[in-house]
Amino acid sequence: MLSFDLHKRKVLTLFLLLLFAWSLFGVNWQEGVLHSSGIGTAAEIFAAMLTPDLSLDILRLAVESSWLTLAYATAGMSLALILALIIGVLASGVLASGKSSRTLMKGSFRGVLGFMRAIHELVWAWLFVASFGLSPYAAIFALAIPYGGILGRIFADMINDVPEEPILALKAAGASKLQCLFYGYLPSVKNSMISYTMYRYECAVRSSAIMSFVGLGGLGYQIQLSLDDLHYGEVWTFIYFLIILVILIDGWSNMLRKRMQL
Amino acid sequence: MKKRKFTFLTFSFYAFLFLIAASWYFVIGVKNASFLELFSKENVAYASKFFKGLFGVGQEEIAFLNRDSWSHAFTLTIETLQMSIMAIGFSTIVMFLTVIPAARNVADGTLTLSRKWYRWVVFSLIRISYIFSRAIPELVWAMIIIFIFKPGILPGAIALALHNFGILGKLCAEVIEDTDYRPIRNLASAGAGRAQILMYGVLPTVLPQFLSYILYRWEVIMRTTIVVGFVGAGGLGQEFKLSMSFFHYTEITLLLICYLILVIIADFISEKSRFFVK
Repeated sequence: MLSFDLHKRKVLTLFLLLLFAWSLFGVNWQEGVLHSSGIGTAAEIFAAMLTPDLSLDILRLAVESSWLTLAYATAGMSLALILALIIGVLASGVLASGKSSRTLMKGSFRGVLGFMRAIHELVWAWLFVASFGLSPYAAIFALAIPYGGILGRIFADMINDVPEEPILALKAAGASKLQCLFYGYLPSVKNSMISYTMYRYECAVRSSAIMSFVGLGGLGYQIQLSLDDLHYGEVWTFIYFLIILVILIDGWSNMLRKRMQL
Repeated sequence: MKKRKFTFLTFSFYAFLFLIAASWYFVIGVKNASFLELFSKENVAYASKFFKGLFGVGQEEIAFLNRDSWSHAFTLTIETLQMSIMAIGFSTIVMFLTVIPAARNVADGTLTLSRKWYRWVVFSLIRISYIFSRAIPELVWAMIIIFIFKPGILPGAIALALHNFGILGKLCAEVIEDTDYRPIRNLASAGAGRAQILMYGVLPTVLPQFLSYILYRWEVIMRTTIVVGFVGAGGLGQEFKLSMSFFHYTEITLLLICYLILVIIADFISEKSRFFVK
């Protein structure tokens, strides 16, 4: 049995290596992969990394766009959380009574969640902007839909993994489906829900930064403008602001997670 | 201790409520975004035109009923697939090269039974590079990389790899930190070198977990390939942006269909093979 396992693993490794090798053939290596001035530009960009533009105007702009990024991310995330709670609970199938209705509910709502998260947030943003113009709601909805899909799926999985005994005890005491949900399922998954949401919040900040690409403002927009003007120093200033923002949220969520485990 | 935990949690709770309220106030009050305006007559007209366009209502050339555009889209799909595999390959290679010194228990010597001062330096350098690489979104990496490389799938793959090696590295270093240290200590005390420890001690125990993380990131990369394409890094995304700029709406539908198929396949494969690895 063990030798079979080892064998299986080797076959898998070989297969993955072959796949990687095949992917390398997709590149036209003969014609050269760099621009003629590519190395010079790279050196310039990396030199600018050490000398970010710290003039007052740029700093003010950076703070403003950081707030914009954070605000869109927070608003989008709060909507996503509501969506995820509703659809996630429905997709876990704990509210359904019969066996067949449970499978139906699970299948259909999981399908909805799958569709929501299959399309990347930037594509959603593009579709929204194309259909109703450059409104902040385009950014917020574009964040809320895929993040709601991801969170909802994870919430549904968490609810399904709840140990059965406490629920059975509640049921034996005569609790209805909704009471089971509020006193059985939700309290036992609350902490993991919060920590996963925090982790996703960090991702949402990063995504909200790139919403800029369709013209919705924020840090990414400024990065793009500075790149187009070839002001590499400014680019790095904005990137450092983004990094600080992400690290702050990461630190907060780490602290929260540690405290909740105690 | 108990009281402190309580205050921090409540503080976080109120801070979040405040943040949410402030952002919504900012969006609605300062930016003057009215929700009802989204459904004004003009917008509804635009939206219906756009969606009719997507479904090819009243258009002469409908891309998703055309054999040529399907075969074109198919080559692009293959290109995108190659890009994603290349990206995950690059980031896996870099991750493997850096992950061992990036684990806390290697740096403080509990795993290898040898303490060297420079381990902490290497540890912090690699960890900083991880944070740096994952804090910058792939799209920004792609925008920078495209200045250096010629357009094609290579810059896209590099941009994706740059963002993902930090994430992979962090996840995998945590796996090493959680491994059982006894077999590895045994090897170290028997005089095994660094490469030997890696090959015979660490890899066999952590490989299944690494693989499941790699597959999980591959699935995510698959979804983001379309985004790096927007800035000219090849694949479906590039074509998507072109069709968007030329208002070839039916082509967009076709590309979205291909993209969805790719994502669903990636989802399926990663789910199944995670099961297989276990």
